[in-house]
Formats: sequence, structure tokens, C-alpha cells
Amino acid sequence: MRLKLIYPHGEVQRPVLAEAVLELGVLINILEAAVNADKGELIVSVEADKEKLAKVIHFFQEKGVTVEKLTRILEIDRNKCVDCGACVSPCPVGAVKITPDWSVEFDEERCVGCKICVNACPVRAIKLIT
Amino acid sequence: MSGTLRTIEGVNAKIKKGDAVVATAEEFIQIVDNSGLKVAAKEVDVVTTGTFGTMCSSGAFLNFGHSEPPIKMWHCWLNDVPAYRGLAAVDAYIGATAMSETQGFEYGGGHVIEDLVSGKEIQLRADAYGTDCYPRKFIETTIVLDDLNQAVLLNPRNAYSRYNAATNSTDETLYTYMGTLLPRYGNITYAGVGQLSPLYKDINFETIGIGTRIFLGGGVGYVIGEGTQHNPQNGLGTIMVRGDLKQMKSQYLKGASIYRYGTSLYVGVGIPIPIVNAKVAATAALRDKDIATNVLDYGVPSRDRPVVKKVSYAELKSGKVTINEKSVPTSPLSSLRVATEIAKTLKKWIQEASFFLSQRVEPLPTYREAKPLKVRKVEPRVRDVMTRKVITAKPEDDIKRVATVLLQRGINHLPIVDAKGKLVGIVTSWDLAKALAFKKRTLREIMTQKVVTVQEDEAIDVLAQKMARHNISGVPVIDVENRVVGIVTAEDLSKKLVRRVK
Repeated sequence: MRLKLIYPHGEVQRPVLAEAVLELGVLINILEAAVNADKGELIVSVEADKEKLAKVIHFFQEKGVTVEKLTRILEIDRNKCVDCGACVSPCPVGAVKITPDWSVEFDEERCVGCKICVNACPVRAIKLIT
Repeated sequence: MSGTLRTIEGVNAKIKKGDAVVATAEEFIQIVDNSGLKVAAKEVDVVTTGTFGTMCSSGAFLNFGHSEPPIKMWHCWLNDVPAYRGLAAVDAYIGATAMSETQGFEYGGGHVIEDLVSGKEIQLRADAYGTDCYPRKFIETTIVLDDLNQAVLLNPRNAYSRYNAATNSTDETLYTYMGTLLPRYGNITYAGVGQLSPLYKDINFETIGIGTRIFLGGGVGYVIGEGTQHNPQNGLGTIMVRGDLKQMKSQYLKGASIYRYGTSLYVGVGIPIPIVNAKVAATAALRDKDIATNVLDYGVPSRDRPVVKKVSYAELKSGKVTINEKSVPTSPLSSLRVATEIAKTLKKWIQEASFFLSQRVEPLPTYREAKPLKVRKVEPRVRDVMTRKVITAKPEDDIKRVATVLLQRGINHLPIVDAKGKLVGIVTSWDLAKALAFKKRTLREIMTQKVVTVQEDEAIDVLAQKMARHNISGVPVIDVENRVVGIVTAEDLSKKLVRRVK
């Protein structure tokens, strides 16, 4: 699951993310980070089951960090897609798969938003949702 | 003829009565699995096949009709995509890979064909020099498919019986006609549909020939000859096809934009294979595991790309292939979903007696040499532009001393070599400036270790591409053992190019 963590002014200096890793023993991968004078924003990928994820979210919220679940990054336009598979093997996290009937299936939970599939698609069926 | 199981006339008579037994290539394999090849060959009259992939050698002949006053078109554009105009006054050929002069890679001839078939309005623009018989010098109007007198899809090369798979050994992502190839064998892409492949199911060309009626782009088409680069003895057969665009459907003709490569057209092709004898039955029963192809390294920008591995379509379709003990994800470029749909549609047409088989008028050749293009003019190689007396340094050398040498010799690039003369890094004058600013002492601390290199016998166009891609101005020339034998700079290259133009 990908989360957007918004650190308010003043909290950016505290190692909240490191504390979460240490205390909860959860793996957190930073995908994007932007910190400025007003606030800090991180996009992270958390490898955890539902229960653990709820704990992680709670942990951050307790420390004053706003947490947003990022479930939608990309969208495949089924009217355009021809199920060729050109986007499948370039995906570094296996978020686009081919089903047994040779259709292309997108797994939003796994997507890290690298966008390599957007260009790989010959019919421009994959759009970023911003 | 002994061994003849059925004739085309016989099959057509059965189709007319609604008695023909038709199976898709995959269903036929199932029947063979259940009852054996002999029984399957006896039972099944026709095996249907299908493929749906980007086929660059595709396009359409269009006749616009005459305007008042008439024009002999000189240049012609359809939605800003140039069409070929070396024909009579208002005939044109729109090729799949021609690209829009305003939208570039995003829109091309393939898209124009798709838009025509879907009934969209297309902007037609043409100029002319004006003649006594064709006075008009310019025309701008819109057309739809119904306005055209003829719109004929005519593809010089379609439906390769099989194709290579692609991977990339280099350290960078490559964008090729085989799609996006991740660095260090990060993925494998493959074209072709294996056991559904129209030409592979009759790999000996026992039934397919000039005049064979086929499914083309959702309508009916014909094989009109061998395709260009037809190379059947290596399992790389191709066909030339034509069909009436006005009968076709846009779901089986889709424009494609291949990132940083260009435009193309997905073409749907399906061929009925009548099981006329045991030999055809055997090839129609071939499975993915029986169809082998090569994974080529597209990281080598050469006509002769090295074979990384021999694989079967079964391995490719499994989603993983092992290269150097690493499990590499694979994915197709042809739509196996649509290919299956085409084989099923063709089966339905035959069962409904709306499609009959045709007798070919000529077989296709079963042997054709694939000749390369000889470059008869001598072209410069790296060895012709490089400097042989190359000044090198050792990693432990002192920066100040080296800076002096660069200044004295007026050079900007310094390959760093070990005791055996093997390349270990490179330092530029810019690196030296940084070193002085940050008070570094030895070259080891500042040198770039990942060096872009060339070999003596490489073409200078390959060298120029490397320099542009990495935005660098100097490249060490190495031999097969990584020893520095020269250096070539942008300056050397530009001098040579100037001479070439002269």
C-alpha cells in the first residue's frame, strides 16, 4: 500500500519514519520526498497486512503526520487497450499482469507510480491520475 | 495423390451444407491431445488461426476522386501525415510508419487508417505545380471512408510465422520497436503468437499461396504473394496481403505509437488452414513448446544482434525466462487475446457459410535468401577518426602534474589505465577543476569509473549516437581486452563529418 505522509511545519526534523520502522518492525520504502520550509511530503510504500497497516497509519497520525492512502495513480482505458502486453514486463514491480485469458490486468496496490508503462503503451491507453 | 485427406472443393461443399468441422488452432491441439493426430486429421476439415500485432509494412491505397477544377497532387497529407504521391493524379498510398508533421510520434499513417475505418473525418490537404490538364494548385477539404472510390489495405509484409524475442544487456533502458527494454536483462519482449500463428500452422506452405482468402482487419482479404523479407527456410515466412478497407473494423486495425521509435499499425490476420494431408495436420498441431525462437540482445545496435538464448514460445508465454541464472519477466507485444478472438471469428464465419476457402493460384516460395544491404562506398570507422597517440595516466597519479600535462597538450580527456594498460576510468579537464576546488589529490578520487567506450571497427554513426546519448565529448577506444588503443573526441568526429559532406 502506498501512503502520502504530510509532515506539518516543525515536525519535519523528527525522524518519525525511522521510529515507525524501529518500533513497528515494518518495511517502509520511500518513493518520493519533498521537504520545504512549510511542510514535508513523503510518498512511501508500506509492506504490511491490513492490521499492521492500520497500526502504521495510527502511529504516524499520533505524531501529527497527516496520512493519505494512495490507491489510484494510473488508469487503463479499457476501450483503448488491445491487451498486447507491451506494458507488462517493463513494470518493475509486477503491477501489470496478464490473466490466463490473455487480458492485461492492473494491480493498483502494487503500483509505485514509475510511469514506465505509460510510454510503453502503443495505444496510449494508460493515463496518470493526478 | 496418395495421402490426400480432402480437397478445397470438398471442404467448400461441406461448408455450404453447414457440415464442415472447423477448429481453432488451439482447439485442434486439444483434439490431438484427446484422440491423436490421425483421428484429428480425419475429423477436422479446417483449422483457423489468428494474429494481431504491429506490422510496420502496412498501408492503404486511396483514390480521392477528382475535384473541380482538378488537381494532380504533388504532395499530400492526411491529418498532417504525408502520403506517397508518386502515382496518378489522385491516387495515394498512406503508409503505417509515416508520421504526422505536427504530432510526430503520437500520430501516424496507422492512426489515419484506423480513423478512416472508424468513420472519422480526415483532413485532406494537397499541393500541386499546376498543369494545362490539372490547373488546381492547392486543395484542402475533409474526407470520410465512404467518399473514397477505392480504399485498399495493401500490406507488403505481414504475419511473420514467428519473430525474435528481445532483451537488453546494456546499463540503460532502451526504447525499440520491440518495446521498452530494461537494463541488464531486466525483461524480455516477444512478438508473434506461437501456436496460433497463421503461417506457422502451415509452415511448409502446403496450402497458403497467391489467392488464399483470409481474415484481414475484420473483413475479407487475400494473400497476393510472398511478403518482403520472406525467409521461409528459417521459419521466417511472411505474406503480402490486400483487402477492401471499407469492409474492415477498427478493432482489428489499430494505430500504434511506439515510444521513441515511431508509428505503426496493429493488423488482425487470420488464415484458414484446410487439413488436406497428414503433413499439414502435423504442422497445424504444432504447439508453443515446438516453436523455437531466439532471444536477441537489442543492446547491440547492429544488424547481427547476438543470440542470448534459444527459447520456445511456451517458455516465452510462461512469463519468465532464465538468463544467466536470473529469472527475467517476459511479455508479448502481439495481443494473444485478440489473436484468439480472430481465430474464433474466422471459425464462426466458416460455420455460418459466410466464408469459403479459395484455391490458391500459385504456391509461395519455400526458399528465399535474406540478403543484407551491401554498403559499397567505404564508410569511416572509429579507427579512421581516432587519435592513436593517446595520453593516459595512472589512478595514483598526482592531480597537479596531470593538470599540467593536459594544459601543455591542449587536451580535455584523460583515460586512466592500470599497470597492464587496461582502462579503469576517465578524467576530464572539468573533473580537474572540481578536484582543485575540493582539494582532492589523486586521480582515483575524482575519476569516472563507468566509462563509455567504443571499439576500432565500430561505425562512426554508432559513435555519434553514443556521444549524443551520454552528452559527452570524448570516448576512449579499447580493444577486446579493454586496453586503451586510442581516443576519439567530438572535434575529431566533426572534422571527419565536414570532409564527408564535402
